[in-house]
Amino acid sequence: MKDRGTHGAGPGGETARADNAAVEIETIRVWDPLLRLFHWLLAIAVVGAWGLGKFGPNVMTLHFWFGYAVLGLLAFRLIWGFVGPEHARFGNFRYGPVSIGKYVLHMVRREPSYWRGHNPLGGFFVFVLLGVLAVHAGLGLIADPEDYVNAGPLAREVSTTTSRTALAWHATLGWVVLGLVVLHVAAIGFYRKWKGEDLIRPMITGRKTVRKDP
Amino acid sequence: MRKVLLITAALATVPAAGIAADLQEVVDARRGFYSMLGADMSVLASMAKGDIEYDGAAAQTHADNLKLLTAYNMGHLYAPGTSNADMPGKTRALPKIWEDGAGVQEKSMAFVQAVEKLNEVAGLDRAELGGAVQRLGGACKECHDNYRARDF
Repeated sequence: MKDRGTHGAGPGGETARADNAAVEIETIRVWDPLLRLFHWLLAIAVVGAWGLGKFGPNVMTLHFWFGYAVLGLLAFRLIWGFVGPEHARFGNFRYGPVSIGKYVLHMVRREPSYWRGHNPLGGFFVFVLLGVLAVHAGLGLIADPEDYVNAGPLAREVSTTTSRTALAWHATLGWVVLGLVVLHVAAIGFYRKWKGEDLIRPMITGRKTVRKDP
Repeated sequence: MRKVLLITAALATVPAAGIAADLQEVVDARRGFYSMLGADMSVLASMAKGDIEYDGAAAQTHADNLKLLTAYNMGHLYAPGTSNADMPGKTRALPKIWEDGAGVQEKSMAFVQAVEKLNEVAGLDRAELGGAVQRLGGACKECHDNYRARDF
């Protein structure tokens, strides 16, 4: 399958200064088309749902549809995390605390990471973001604001106390989601400005300049 | 306006000592009042959604009940000292209610107008009822978002 490739395609044999030593780099496809589509659709769905939740009309039909879209996209990502191409798989970016710590120590250097796929810290962030979004959207399904027009579709299946607690957590997690999105965008800016590595373009074209496998 | 939820008039008025009811009773009565609104509204919402069959006469009865409740002077139900800051765990009424009289008044008016609109169309047909229920639900949300904590 073409999209699985981590080897090849790019102009091989380039070198760059990294890690205080010359490293060999190559430009390859790291993000498959469905993963990229998922990423941008999720961005639209989350921003849309968030904005409609805070500033949208009192009858929140559109907010609900954007929320369902988020849940649908997360379901796809869950499956893709097990059966997708190499860098989409959860196992590919599940690192332990030591690896994450080591990556963080090197992260401040003003040089591109040339990392293949999600780096240890970024991978950890992906798990946090996907988890928070899943809980947040899931709670929305059972939340009941007691206005008889905006009750979650499954609010009746749980007790009044539960749907009230879900409403409170749904509101709180909305701010957590905002914080994570801001952090995500700030990290992309940090890589661009500080490390001189563009991470946006690879998420559009799929191709990224990475360190050659030893 | 003929009918106004007379909340704000009483908000500024500290109940005279001696006649002030036990604050817990005030909170219970206040929550009871909203439970009554909810009992009528939930039937209308169920009809609008099609969960129960639309019945024009029954819808009109519930809409009449709601209109009647808007004539209730609930000022005493918002006695000072009954916010969730004063009585944590007992009520979700935010202190902002007592600090933002103009906002409460404005949103109360929107609520009363939504009920009056609902009352005009509830008995006509399900589609009319649906639009009016959405507008009233939106008015509920306005106050819930601004003046009510989401949980105890």
